[in-house]
Amino acid sequence: MRDASSFDEFYRSTSRRMLRYGYAVAGDYVEAQDLVQEAYARAWRQWGRMSAHPAPEAWLRLVVARLATDRWRRLRGWQAALVRSGPPEAVPPPGEDAVLLTGALRRLPAAQRQALALHYLFDMSVDEIARETGVPTGTVKSWLSRGRARLAALLPGVSAAELEANDVA
Amino acid sequence: MSRDVSDFYRSLAADADGRPLAGPDALRRWADRRARVRAAGGSLVAVLLIAGAATGTRLVLADDRGPVTPPAATPTVTASPPSPSPATPAPTTTAPATPDRTPSAPATGTRAPRTPTSIPDRAFFAQPAGLVAAPPYFTEGEPVLPEFCGADLDEPVVQRRTRALFYHLGTDRPETAVPYGSYRHTITIHRAGRAGDWMADLRRAVRECPEQEAASGGVSRQRLLPGGAYGDESLLIELRTPALTAGGTAEGETVRLIRVVRIGDVVTVLWEIGWEGTSSDRANVDDYSRRAARAVSDWLD
Repeated sequence: MRDASSFDEFYRSTSRRMLRYGYAVAGDYVEAQDLVQEAYARAWRQWGRMSAHPAPEAWLRLVVARLATDRWRRLRGWQAALVRSGPPEAVPPPGEDAVLLTGALRRLPAAQRQALALHYLFDMSVDEIARETGVPTGTVKSWLSRGRARLAALLPGVSAAELEANDVA
Repeated sequence: MSRDVSDFYRSLAADADGRPLAGPDALRRWADRRARVRAAGGSLVAVLLIAGAATGTRLVLADDRGPVTPPAATPTVTASPPSPSPATPAPTTTAPATPDRTPSAPATGTRAPRTPTSIPDRAFFAQPAGLVAAPPYFTEGEPVLPEFCGADLDEPVVQRRTRALFYHLGTDRPETAVPYGSYRHTITIHRAGRAGDWMADLRRAVRECPEQEAASGGVSRQRLLPGGAYGDESLLIELRTPALTAGGTAEGETVRLIRVVRIGDVVTVLWEIGWEGTSSDRANVDDYSRRAARAVSDWLD
């Protein structure tokens, strides 16, 4: 039996973080919104078991990352539902730095975007990222190092030398 | 001063926080409704696949790579596989400029584009390399079109986004050269089924307003021009206004072109607004119109 109130509480407490994460791995806010909603819909469908999961948020992040790298997905169901419920609320224009970052992220491989998002948005260590993504720590270090070097080249005012000095342990 | 990557991620997080996400109850209702439809619609998917094959339509199954299992560190619960994604018919082609079609006579074998609810950045086309005079930027509150004798073309819309574009005509321009011209590029999602009516209203407004007082003084003349077939239907509007010298005397005319393209419920307006009195270049307007229509088609496909 699925408990709606516990799902709603989980959604309210995690959806903001998940949307940030989706934005960082997809590089597009609208796509992020779609795939985050899709991931939560999947979680709700199996909430009877998921509600007892010790790390449902980690599970959701994996779904979001997978959907974000799935170029051929068409998430039209949610959009159709929004059509029926009326136009979306007006949203503020994106911040300049966010635009610069998403533009740069779109030029990075998906694995690097995922690793960088887990580090910068969730403050996760190399070991934690390796556990979540299921790859060796050396691979994560490589993703982070290459991703940060590429961002340093693409973002204004970011020094590659300082990035190396502050590299992730 | 050197900046850190984390500054940019903080900005991205703040950006995401400032935008709305539907509530959990709405999401649960949608997920449950979709599950019911899928449970009842398995045979319908098979019928659609067969019908699509029979008509030569290429169908692409969404590349759903199956379930995501819980993280390795927390193996106590195994998530069941999500339902397969529904078959999604893909367009047979993505033509740069589709033949002109009217709403009443859609091309046989093509599907109507969906009505989207929001406009992503990728719906806006990329300018040709080397012809960007300044980075484009999004604006708010600017008129989408000039006035046509006070005709009321306003109506509730789902969403609208506008950006400003600055361009050179040739790639041989020095980096510091001023632009040849600029565009106000607006994409509007109209309510389902209303965009065609809006186009008809616009066509009528231009025809019924051959002349009006120009904002800069003198008389502005406007008309519909033939030529160009973009999207499901398109218009090309010409505006001629007196070209004024610094002293305020008229010296020739300034010609502006506006291309309006409808694809499904989405209308794109490319209003060439010049740069310090330049006139629109027809070849450039046609090129940008093709690019704009293609970007919207790709977004909607």
